[in-house]
Amino acid sequence: MAVEAGTNEHWDWEANSTTKWVSLSFRSLWDYRHLLARLVRREFLINYQQTILGPLWVVLQPALTLLVYVLVFGKWMGVNTGTAPPVLFFLCGILLWGLCNDLFTGTAFIFTYYSYLYSKVYFPRLIIPFSIAGTHLARFAIQGVLLLAVFMYFGLFRQYSFGLNYWVLFLPVAILLTAAFALSLGLIFSILTARYRDLSNIVHLGIRLFMFVTPVIYPLSLVPDSIRWLVQINPLSSLFEVFRYALLGQGQFTTSGLWYSATCIVILFVFALAWFNKQAARLIDVV
Amino acid sequence: MSNVVIEAQHISKRYRLGPTGTGSIRQDVQRWWRGNADPFFRERTDPGTLWALKDIDFTMQRGDIWGIVGDNGAGKSTLLKIISRIIQPTTGRVRGRGTVGSLLEVGTGFHPELSGRENIFISGYLLGMNKARVKEKFDEIVAFSGIEQFIDTPVKRYSSGMYVRLAFSVAAHLEPDILIMDEVLAVGDTSFQKKCLDKMKELSGDGQRTILFVSHNMQAVHHLCKQAMWLQRGQMVTIGSATEVVNRYVGSLQQHKLRQQWDDPALAPGNEFVRIMSFELIPELVEGAVSIDVRTSLTVKFSIRNEVAGALLNAGLHLYNYAGECIFDVASPATACAGGLVQGECKIPAHFLNDGAYYFSLIIVRDTSIPVYYHEGGIHFEVADYRENTNWYGKWKGAVRPQFPFSFGSV
Repeated sequence: MAVEAGTNEHWDWEANSTTKWVSLSFRSLWDYRHLLARLVRREFLINYQQTILGPLWVVLQPALTLLVYVLVFGKWMGVNTGTAPPVLFFLCGILLWGLCNDLFTGTAFIFTYYSYLYSKVYFPRLIIPFSIAGTHLARFAIQGVLLLAVFMYFGLFRQYSFGLNYWVLFLPVAILLTAAFALSLGLIFSILTARYRDLSNIVHLGIRLFMFVTPVIYPLSLVPDSIRWLVQINPLSSLFEVFRYALLGQGQFTTSGLWYSATCIVILFVFALAWFNKQAARLIDVV
Repeated sequence: MSNVVIEAQHISKRYRLGPTGTGSIRQDVQRWWRGNADPFFRERTDPGTLWALKDIDFTMQRGDIWGIVGDNGAGKSTLLKIISRIIQPTTGRVRGRGTVGSLLEVGTGFHPELSGRENIFISGYLLGMNKARVKEKFDEIVAFSGIEQFIDTPVKRYSSGMYVRLAFSVAAHLEPDILIMDEVLAVGDTSFQKKCLDKMKELSGDGQRTILFVSHNMQAVHHLCKQAMWLQRGQMVTIGSATEVVNRYVGSLQQHKLRQQWDDPALAPGNEFVRIMSFELIPELVEGAVSIDVRTSLTVKFSIRNEVAGALLNAGLHLYNYAGECIFDVASPATACAGGLVQGECKIPAHFLNDGAYYFSLIIVRDTSIPVYYHEGGIHFEVADYRENTNWYGKWKGAVRPQFPFSFGSV
């Protein structure tokens, strides 16, 4: 009888055998916001502990990549970057792609990497992928300073006239959409790699190949018409183009293309969150 | 407002054995395909399932302190993980009121590269403390751990003792409504265990906090918990008052072989000089106890058949512990024995043996110098622990545990 009576009363929490697609509690995520912030901080501290250059690596990495890209793709292969100087063109691509790539590879293995936390203590499971997203967005913000510095150099010493325009205001949206895309794929792959270990071998290769159907090292205008559809169905393409258009005044995109990207990414993001929610509790038994 | 803080109804947890669940896509597709194509195949290849928990029901009231006892693999940790919401039950449900703090390991979320300070924050947040609370308790946590000087040093440079102390200090300053602890007492040195138990007592003092704790330390369960449950192979054996459950559990653990007897001398162990006819241990349990413990006095009785009339014989009893150390060797006086049955009896007083597992061997000696027959390991028994008037729950030291007259007091 006591049980009977208890069922109608208020319970703070319940654990049962069902998993829901939608059980996302923003309240519980909010309660753990300090943990999220600490995890972001922790990531920075761990990465640069005992290194000589420390946080400088955040900008040194893309700077070195830039050097290689400018030499290989710009000088030797002669990728036509239009009116924009190759350095600026490649830097924009490298930074945005870096965000996408790091965020994806950072989240695609969370069940394996973080099982030591997941299997020992309860907290909203999404905190970990969100903290990884936070880490990479913060890194991206720091790298934005590098971008600004290079722009200033070109403006002051090379008399380069920028194609800056109102689309700059759209940049935060483009960046967030790119991050959401990478996070969604990361969440989906985190479930798949937990279930099928074989996949982990393909993930890194896959993301590298994916770079080639995204206008990172080439402008969309350079793609032959016959295979342009391949690049255009990629929701990231419009975002990369608009990113460069806003800063360099050079890029090919349409408003409908942007709507297409935004819709795809939002649907993917919602699906990824729901699937992650549904699978997370079960996967702890598997990893 | 009901006082029930946790209610578990029909919790079961099933694990699939074998490679199911994780593995390659090929395996999964194969399994799926064959399972659909051939219904018999599924049964033949299914490596079986294991019910880690089966149909567990209980309710916990606010302020209860529960112990969970059972052998390894009984499902204790699985149950704690389900209540902590780390894993899901296969059937049934657990509902609760109030915040839950789970201490399933020492140093949850600690990262070796980070300083003690950073780790206090991360671990505190992970275990469910909020920012205000960690800040408020920070100095206390550091003071409790006693590592003030090293608080900004990466914890990988800590000694293991320092690490455990810091980790425990964080855990001790958690103040959840429901505290779940798994075998935390098993790690660390004895003084750490003591500190841990004291803290638990302190936490439970106000009667508001509910504690659920798994331990192999029966003394601790017995003294700290009011209620206990005993799990065996995933099933609830008993649930009830801690004293009763612990006694029954300890009783079942004792692999008693207290009596040996042979009716036919031809089959009895021995030789042409003597045959062992019986060898037994008779415990005198104190009132209320169900098993041999340190308060029990023991009587060893044996009878032998003397085949050589008039031989001068005496008997010796050797008590060994399971580490193979001889605890004592007592000898009877020598007597000239007539042929036929000869009896012996030796009494071991209460409050003499320490807790542990032991066996007796019997030796028969002729002419006070020549071993005639050595009957090894005839009696096996265990002595359980029992303590009163002490707050010490660690292992009691020493091969024996006598109570000598001991006066103590200010002059």
